[in-house]
Amino acid sequence: MGVAFVAHCLLNQNSKVGDGAHCAGIYSPVVDVLREKGWRIEQMPCPELAFTGLNRFWAVREQLDTPEYRRYCRRLANAVADMIAVRAAQGEDIVLIGVEGSPSMGVHITSSDPARGGLPEWPAGSAELTSGEGIFVEELRAELGRRGIAAGLGGETHALPDHDAQTQRTQLESLLEGR
Amino acid sequence: MKPDERSFRIALVADRYVNPPPGGLDALAVLAMAGWGAMQLPADDYPADIAARVLAEVTEQAEEFSRHGYDFVLIGDRDGLAEALAAAGLAVPDRIVPTDAAQLLDFLAARPAPAVSSWSWLNRD
Repeated sequence: MGVAFVAHCLLNQNSKVGDGAHCAGIYSPVVDVLREKGWRIEQMPCPELAFTGLNRFWAVREQLDTPEYRRYCRRLANAVADMIAVRAAQGEDIVLIGVEGSPSMGVHITSSDPARGGLPEWPAGSAELTSGEGIFVEELRAELGRRGIAAGLGGETHALPDHDAQTQRTQLESLLEGR
Repeated sequence: MKPDERSFRIALVADRYVNPPPGGLDALAVLAMAGWGAMQLPADDYPADIAARVLAEVTEQAEEFSRHGYDFVLIGDRDGLAEALAAAGLAVPDRIVPTDAAQLLDFLAARPAPAVSSWSWLNRD
């Protein structure tokens, strides 16, 4: 058992980019596994919500990756790392649970398209999905590295075209049991 | 694409209802059932300076929701929350300190529908 620091939207789908909310509020498949395994839940802030607002467009990493957004993500990452440091000092195991496919919260899969910009005319699809981390996860992992804090990493996969609820559950259980 | 399913309803939730002690009320289960989102408030055992920074971030995010007309309630309480909200010009939302799930469900069910639930750019075809 330990402490799971979860992406904001896993407890609050209202923070999602428009047309992106999978459910009314709490994304129960992740919460249920954490409860069953006895893990404490801590919610991270949504880096896109306050910075780009509720009316933001869907975006890829390159559109968000500005010096100012990096500074903002570092500010949030510092606050989260302070919380993680408290729990780590208490001897708790730590996992971070992000959102695969997100330009900010992706853990293993983010979205990328260096050519994207201008008038938003591109069709919805999955061509932008690529291996890699989102910007906030990158900054948080770097901050934890500077502090010498180890954390497990997992991602919720609902936004991926090959999302399978049972596979996601198995991967999350495996992440928690491996700590 | 599936329609956006957001509820436009968010509860600020004290940590003891997010991580309840044995026998305590699991507010996340109730909120999931009622279709509300949650914004967790920092646990009481965090040092004051860390809690203050977290509350400032929670407030900044609540401010964005609030200016768009999302409905807010407060479940439990957190020292410093009122001051953090006031610094952003926000009032403390209607509050409940529930003793059981039924009481919390009734409280949530009694809320009027938020006006923004008719946002035209959502669910368009």
